[in-house]
Amino acid sequence: MSQVLAPILPVLAAIGLMLANGVVLIYMLRKVLGHLHLRLGPVHVGPKGIVQTTADVLKLLSKEDIRPNGVDRWMYVLAPVVVFVPSLMAYAALPFSETLRITRLDTGLLYTFAVLSVVPLGVIMAGWSSANKYALIGALRAAAQQVAYEVPLLLSVLPVVMIVGSMDLAEIVAFQTGVWLGVVPRWFVVLLIPSFVIFMIAALCELNQTPFDMSEAESELVSGFATEYSSMKFGLIFLSEFSNSFVISALAVTLFFGGWTLPFVPDSVLAPIAPVVFVLKTYIGIFVFMWIRGTLPRVRIDHLMNLGWKWLIPISLAWLMLVGVVVKLVAPGGVA
Amino acid sequence: MLPDTTVVKTVLTGVARAEVTATSLGVVVRVPHEDTAAVLSALKSSDLGFVMLVDLLGTDTDEDVELTYHLRSFARDEELYVKCSLPHDGVLHSVWNVYASALLPERETAELFGLTLAGHPNPARLLTTDGEQPLLRRSVPIRTLKEVRDR
Amino acid sequence: MTDPRDTVLTHALQAEGTFDPGRAPAGIKRIPSGVDGLATEHLVVNIGPQHPSTHGVLRLVAELDGEEVMNVEVAVGYLHRGIEKLGEHRRYHQLGTLMDRGDYVSGIHGELAAALAAEQLLEVEVPPRGQWLRSLMSEVNRIASHLVWFGTFGLDCGAMGQFLYAMREREALLDVLESVTGQRMMFNYVRPGGVLDDITPDAEQKLRTFLRTIDSYLDEHHALLGGNEIFQKRVRGVGVIDRETGLAFGLTGANLRGSGVPYDVRRDKPYAAYTELDFDVPLGATGDAWDRYLVRMEEMRQAARMCRQCIEGLPEGDVMAKVPRVLRPPAGETYACVESPRGELGVHLVADGSDTPYRFHYRAPSLFAMQVLEEILPGHLLADAIMLIGSVDIVLGEIDR
Repeated sequence: MSQVLAPILPVLAAIGLMLANGVVLIYMLRKVLGHLHLRLGPVHVGPKGIVQTTADVLKLLSKEDIRPNGVDRWMYVLAPVVVFVPSLMAYAALPFSETLRITRLDTGLLYTFAVLSVVPLGVIMAGWSSANKYALIGALRAAAQQVAYEVPLLLSVLPVVMIVGSMDLAEIVAFQTGVWLGVVPRWFVVLLIPSFVIFMIAALCELNQTPFDMSEAESELVSGFATEYSSMKFGLIFLSEFSNSFVISALAVTLFFGGWTLPFVPDSVLAPIAPVVFVLKTYIGIFVFMWIRGTLPRVRIDHLMNLGWKWLIPISLAWLMLVGVVVKLVAPGGVA
Repeated sequence: MLPDTTVVKTVLTGVARAEVTATSLGVVVRVPHEDTAAVLSALKSSDLGFVMLVDLLGTDTDEDVELTYHLRSFARDEELYVKCSLPHDGVLHSVWNVYASALLPERETAELFGLTLAGHPNPARLLTTDGEQPLLRRSVPIRTLKEVRDR
Repeated sequence: MTDPRDTVLTHALQAEGTFDPGRAPAGIKRIPSGVDGLATEHLVVNIGPQHPSTHGVLRLVAELDGEEVMNVEVAVGYLHRGIEKLGEHRRYHQLGTLMDRGDYVSGIHGELAAALAAEQLLEVEVPPRGQWLRSLMSEVNRIASHLVWFGTFGLDCGAMGQFLYAMREREALLDVLESVTGQRMMFNYVRPGGVLDDITPDAEQKLRTFLRTIDSYLDEHHALLGGNEIFQKRVRGVGVIDRETGLAFGLTGANLRGSGVPYDVRRDKPYAAYTELDFDVPLGATGDAWDRYLVRMEEMRQAARMCRQCIEGLPEGDVMAKVPRVLRPPAGETYACVESPRGELGVHLVADGSDTPYRFHYRAPSLFAMQVLEEILPGHLLADAIMLIGSVDIVLGEIDR
């Protein structure tokens, strides 16, 4: 394989994965929300409506790209890219199995969070440049929300890092193989329930999902920061949203549910199906996100801020300290 | 329930030249338009306790526009109608200081009968656009069925 | 980001004293703008006429300080069809058709008010079965209408599921109404002198099935939305309309009862068969959005209770009195009102002895519910403003007429 092609292939694979994922997830969202809401979701295009999303993508691609008067031109064009590219980059460190991944990073966890935290910047750019008041309010909400929730999100995963002693996602997964007492999987969700709960709440917020879909809030802000976007610019924003929910769910699986591993299953059986296990676990996580989205009402912005600053951050700090003390007492030289 | 006409008369003595009659509608107090606010305010603060303005409507009687203020007392479970007349190009004096519920109905009435609204915090049109005829005047025609069909 | 084309606000109550539009409700602390000498300005947002949560075509011109609503002005008229003017050119039988198009979510009540007004002028006695059917259909329509309110209220709070769950129940009721009246929306069922047609066995069957399950369904709905902590935090203590404000602004129906005023047209000025029906009038304590929510939820239960009594106690006989084909009431003036799901829906008729009304006026409860928005919204957050539009349950069709 040529010197040029070899590094490019994984990137292309990531793009392919992201697009395919988007198509599948949009279909899944419609079907899941549909059935939660006592309706059927798409049924007409293709058997059981499975081609509906493809048709929608084609529709989005063929639509006129409208740029309203008065927008800040460069920022307006750049914003969807700033939203889209980081969500694509976030795939880089995800370990689908022991061998299948785009790249192995020693600081995979940090990298993924760092990249994902660029997304709200694109949201703010989109809202600010749109010359639309709803978009502006949406963008400002996104800014406030990000500041309040990035911190607990990061703090919630630190106990995992402290115990494993590494930020390499593969090592975190490797640490979780096997069982305790012969029955309980060695998953961090068992050990670190508070971390997991904080992670889920902060992740919902990070994903802009109901009940924390502040920057979109379709019943208040029409479509929030994305109000003025059309055609594939909107498509990119839309796609990145689904891609993010895949990445966050994959992170939850990696950090708390043992990644590609399954307890009680020998390695020889697991090895060929590891990526499938990983994706399935991730999709279950996404299903939970959708379930929440279909059921709960939206939180008010000041309640959201209260929850973030007055509850999640102090709790996660206290929990972090507790875990730190325990780790120091149990294994003074570090667990690893 | 109908209020006692003599009681209403007593309340309004000294406030305005009021003519109290019992009609098919109920007990109707007829007053000059300039005294409406004073009369309503007296009725509201009196023992009769007409605390709520249920409705406000105009009627074009061909000679003038007749305004009807529909009042209700919860304490005595009584209803009272205060009526006054205005010329077609008259000025409708707002009573929103007495009953805040008159705010929008007054705008609507003034607009649909072509009256000028005075003393109102926001005397803009409510339902129709500028330049529209005062629709509820009898002299403003609507399209007949034949005209609509032949359109 | 303010646009020079934006409407300059003239808040209704700012001009002169008595009401303080800028007062912040308890629990919301106002931060002064322009901290550190930075220039700030208020953002004027046109909420509507095309907006997902304005329940029709309502436009709110809202002045925002950050997320907080400082001032709001309602702009209506987008649905103005001149129903009152048209009514002056229609015969008395045809008024119901116009009323259907006023409050299009609960057509039966509008028709009933028009029919009652015509009957008062004509002094027609409606046969008992007609009276009971009027009550029955009113209550069926009330549950259907409250379910629309419930669903859209959930939608305003961001809970999309509630809307579709409410539609499931409403569908059964619309089937009943369709079976009896032939229509799902513009019923044209209540006529001066009685009702159009008797209840069909099919409708009765469907209604009985529905009434068996509705209470448990309502419990489920209440548990899912009302029992939700997020929802409760959003509605409790928010949008308080106290007793005095409610009366001053002419609120009626569930909005006024939410503020603790025990007034219900069905009980206090009974019409149709309500004197013979047994029902409770639920009351709120503080007048916040939560109270209005609870009052409406309870009203649905009470309406179901009345439906049961109506089905069981439906007397035999004609559904329609003998009335001439063309009604010519003697000259006179009258006011008739019914308790529609939105409040006191009144029809003021002036007759001149001809076959058309001289003046036909429609007292729309939503109009009064809407003008209180100008008073209560300032001081709330934008999200609450949207929720509060839902909580007073307005239908733009009857505001604009």
